[in-house]
Amino acid sequence: MNNRETLLELRDLRVDFHVKGGTFTAVKDVNFSIYKGETFGLVGESGSGKTTIGRAIVRINQTTAGDILFKNQKINGKIAKDLDREVVRKIQMIFQDPMASLNERAKVDYIVSEGLVNAEGKLGEAERLEKVRKALLEVGLLPEFANRFPHEFSGGQRQRIGIARALIMEPEFIVADEPISALDVSIRAQVLNLLSNLQRNKGLTYLFIAHDLSVVRFIADRIAVINKGEIVELAETEELFAHPLHPYTKALLSAIPVPDPIAERGKVVTVYDPGCHDYSTDKPCWQEVSHGHFVLANQREGETYRKEIEA
Amino acid sequence: MNDKTPILSVKDLVVKFSLRGRILTAIRGASLDLHEGEALAIVGESGSGKSVFTKSFIGMLDQNGWVDSGHIEFEGHDIAGYKTEAEWMKIRGGKISMVFQDPMTALNPLRKVGMQIQEAVELHTGLTGKAAAKEAVEMLDRVGITNPALRANQFPHEFSGGMRQRVVIAIAMACKSRILICDEPTTALDVTIQAQILKLVKNLQQDFGFTVIYITHDLGVVANVADRVAVMYAGKIIETGTAEEVFYDPCHPYTWALLSSLPQLGVKGHDLYSISGTPPNLFNEIKGDAFAPRNPKALKIDFVHEPPEFRVSPTHTASTWLLDPRAPKLDPPAAIQALKAKYARRQA
Amino acid sequence: MTEKTNTGSEKVMDVDPGLFTFAEFDEVSSERTGYSDYSYWKSTFRVFLKNKVALMLLVFLATLILFTLIQPLLPGQKSPTEIYNDPATSMQLRNLPPSKAFWFGTNSIGQDLWSRIWSGTRTTMLIALMVGVIEVGIGIIYGSLWGYVRKLDRLLTEIYNVLSNIPTVIFLLLLAFMMKPGIKTMIIAMSITGWLGMARFIRNQIVIIRDREYNLASRCLGTPTRRIIMKNLLPYLVSVIMMQTALSIPATIGWEVLLTYIGVGLPVSIPSLGNLVNEGRLIMMSPELRYQLIFPVIVVSSITVSLYVLGNAFSDASDPRNHV
Repeated sequence: MNNRETLLELRDLRVDFHVKGGTFTAVKDVNFSIYKGETFGLVGESGSGKTTIGRAIVRINQTTAGDILFKNQKINGKIAKDLDREVVRKIQMIFQDPMASLNERAKVDYIVSEGLVNAEGKLGEAERLEKVRKALLEVGLLPEFANRFPHEFSGGQRQRIGIARALIMEPEFIVADEPISALDVSIRAQVLNLLSNLQRNKGLTYLFIAHDLSVVRFIADRIAVINKGEIVELAETEELFAHPLHPYTKALLSAIPVPDPIAERGKVVTVYDPGCHDYSTDKPCWQEVSHGHFVLANQREGETYRKEIEA
Repeated sequence: MNDKTPILSVKDLVVKFSLRGRILTAIRGASLDLHEGEALAIVGESGSGKSVFTKSFIGMLDQNGWVDSGHIEFEGHDIAGYKTEAEWMKIRGGKISMVFQDPMTALNPLRKVGMQIQEAVELHTGLTGKAAAKEAVEMLDRVGITNPALRANQFPHEFSGGMRQRVVIAIAMACKSRILICDEPTTALDVTIQAQILKLVKNLQQDFGFTVIYITHDLGVVANVADRVAVMYAGKIIETGTAEEVFYDPCHPYTWALLSSLPQLGVKGHDLYSISGTPPNLFNEIKGDAFAPRNPKALKIDFVHEPPEFRVSPTHTASTWLLDPRAPKLDPPAAIQALKAKYARRQA
Repeated sequence: MTEKTNTGSEKVMDVDPGLFTFAEFDEVSSERTGYSDYSYWKSTFRVFLKNKVALMLLVFLATLILFTLIQPLLPGQKSPTEIYNDPATSMQLRNLPPSKAFWFGTNSIGQDLWSRIWSGTRTTMLIALMVGVIEVGIGIIYGSLWGYVRKLDRLLTEIYNVLSNIPTVIFLLLLAFMMKPGIKTMIIAMSITGWLGMARFIRNQIVIIRDREYNLASRCLGTPTRRIIMKNLLPYLVSVIMMQTALSIPATIGWEVLLTYIGVGLPVSIPSLGNLVNEGRLIMMSPELRYQLIFPVIVVSSITVSLYVLGNAFSDASDPRNHV
C-alpha cells in the first residue's frame, strides 16, 4: 500500500458558501488521498457536500481553507497560469445530467473538441476532426454522430458524448459526479462498463461520486462516506461492507434497496440519529481503526470500534 | 391469487400522441389486470410508456394525447371512452388517486398544508369546515408527521423532501380512493427517506385496504413493495407475474437483461451485462418484437411477427417467442441462473 | 419449469419453422436507432405559423413596410414637403379633406398628408430600427459581461443604478437641446437612454443560465469567457433578444411622439409620425379637421399593436415547452 503513488490529496479542506444571512459550511475538515490507478468512491446523500468537493477539485468552486494537492502541487486558490492550464489538461469532470451538460446549440464535434481547441489553439481542422472521430469511437459512438446536435441522442449516448469530451484531453484524473444517476437502469451498465474499460486501458484514476452504494460497491476500490460536509468513514470497499463502523454508514447500508424480494421483505432499516454521539467533552477526530479503515469518532467510540473489528 | 374479477382490467389499450405533426404510439396494445388489495409494480425505463399508461386511467394524458382503442374496465364502466372532465371527476381522487414523483412541485407553495389536505377531504367525503380540518390533522398524524396540529398551519417550503411526500400521500389518503397510483414516489428522495416512505405506504395499505400501483425503474423498490410485477417495454407489457416469479424465474429476454445489468449482481473486475443500443423510435411502426434489435439472442421470427402472450403459470405470463414450443432452448444469462439457484436453495 | 401453454400463437401455426432460429445480431445498427429529429427553429416556426392572428399581423406589417418603401416610386405621388397652392387663387390649399387629388387631404399649410404619412412612417421606422439595433448591440455587450463575470457584477450594477436613476425625459431633453434637432440626434439620444433596459434584461437571462451544467463543463475545459458568452449563452438568448427588439420599436415610436410633443423632436421640415400626430393634435377640436389626427394615429397604433402581438407570439413559439 505504501508504494502507491498519491495522485490527489485533500488536507483539512473547508468550503463555505455565502448565503443570505451568513455563511453555510458545505464541506469541513476533509482529509483523504487518492492513489494513482484506483477508483475512489465518495458516497453521500443530497446536501452532503460530495458534489462540492468534486467541483472544488476541478476549480469550479472556490475553497475557503485547506489544500488540494495534485502530484504534490497545491491546485486550489490562486495559482499560476500554466499550472491552471495543466490542471485543465490533467483533471477532467464528467457531469451528472446528460440533458443539461451538453450545449444544445452546438454540434457534437464542437462539444467534444472544445477543450482541445482551448488547450491547443493552433490545431488544424483535419487533425481536430480526426481526434474527435477517435474519441467518439472510443466511447462506442459512431463517427457520423459528430455532425449532429445533442438532442438527437438518447440519455446514454449523451453521457458518452460527455465522456468523450473529457477523454479527448487525455487526462490522468477524472472526477465523475454521479455519472449514471440520471440514466436508465439498463444504460447504467453500459456506461459503467465503459468507465472501467477506459480505466484499464488508459491507466486513469477516478473519483466516483454517487449516492447509490450498490453501484459504488461494484466499481470502487475504496469508499469514503460523507455526511453533512464531514467524512465519517473511509475503507476499502469490501471492508466497508463487511465491517461498517459509523452509525451513519450502518444506516446507509441498511437502506440500500436490494433487487431480491425475499431479502427485501426481511430487511430491517436502521435510522441514523446524530444524537447518538456525545461530543460534548470528547471531541471526534479522524482516526485509523484498522489498516486502511478510518472513522470519524471520539476516543470512546474509537475504542468500541476497534473491539468491534477484532471480534 | 384470488379468482374474483379484477378491480381494474385493461385490455389492448392503444394510446397515441400528436407530436410536431407526427403520430407517436406511446402504448401499443397493453393489457393488465389489477386485483383488489394487492401492490402491483409496473417496471420500465424511460420511453416504455409506464407513466402514460397509468395516466390514461385517470384521464390525465397531455393535451395532445388520446386513447385510440382498447378498454379499461373499472366498476362496471369502460373508462377508456371517457372524454369529458365531468366524467373523469367521478374517478379522480375519489376512486383513483395519484402520487407524483416530485413533492416539490406537487404542492401549492402558497397555501397551508392543512388547507390543501382539507380541500381533498371536503371534495371527497361529506365533511366540511371544522370537521374536515380535524380530519386533515388526523391524516397528517397517520402519515407520520409529528406535531400534526402545528404543522398543518405551515407552508410546503417549511417541510423537507420526505415530509412533503408524506403530505402528498396524506392528500391522496384523504380522498379515500380504492386505487392509489404512485409514480416514482421515491426517486427524488434520499435512500434513507425512501425506505421510510415505502414502509409508510405499505402500512397505510394494510390499514385502509386500498390497492396500489407503483411505477418505477428501480428494481430494489419493486422487490421491497410489490406482490406482482408487470414489465413494460416500448409501450407493451411484456411480462407479468408475482414478484418471486419475475425475479427468480424471468422468461422475457428484456427482463433477463434488466435484472442482469444491475450492479448488485455484478462481479467486480468483470463487465456488467449491458443492453446495447437504445429503445425504438415510437413514431415508426414496429414490426415483430420491439426488443429484437437489441437482443443478441433474437430469433428470426422476432423481427417478423409480434410474440403473443404465453402462460408460464396461472399467475405468470410473458410475450416472447422463446416460450413457443418450436423455439430452441435458451438458457438465461449466468446472473439469472445464479438468482434461480439461490431461490431454489432457500425453498429447500 | 411449469408447463407452458400459449394464448395466441395458433394464428401463426403455419409459420416457417426456419424462423425459429437465431438471427444475426448487428450491434452497430442498434446504436444507430434514430432518436429524435427535433429541430428547434423548425418547431419554433411551426408553432408560430399556427397562430393565425400573428400570421395576419405579420403579413399586414410586412405589407405596410413594403408599401412605405415603394410608395415614392409609384406614379402620381406628391412630395411630402411641397406646399401646394391653388393654381386659381395662388392661395395655399389648406386643410382640405380627403379627395381624389389629395387622398388623405392636406394639412394646415397645404402639404399632402398621404405622402407625408408614408414619409413620416419611413423616418420613424428608420429611427426605431437604428435605435433597436444600437440598443441591442450595447445591451448585449454590457449585459453579458454584467451577468457572467462575477467580478464585474458590483461595478456594473452601480453604474446601471446611477444611469437608470437619471430621468429619461429630462436626459433626452438635454441631449436634444444640446445637439441640433435631426434624425441623427434622435437616434443617438434614444439609444443612449434605451440600452439600459436591454442590458438589464440580458443580464437577468444570463444569470439564469450561467450555472447550468454545460457552462460549468465549458469552464472546466478552460473555455475563455468570450467564447462561453458567444457560443454557450447568446445562442440560447436569440429568441428572447429578437422579441425584446421587436417590443422596443413601438417604445421608441412612443418616445419620438412624446419628444415631438414637448418640442424637442424632429424639425417640422422632416415629416415623422411624431410630428404628424402632434400637428393633428393641435387641430383635434375641429371635427372636420380630425382626419389629420386620425390617419397618423391609425398608422402608429397598427404598427405598435402588430409588433406587440408578433413579439409575444414569437416568444411563445420559441419556448421549447410549446413545441408539441
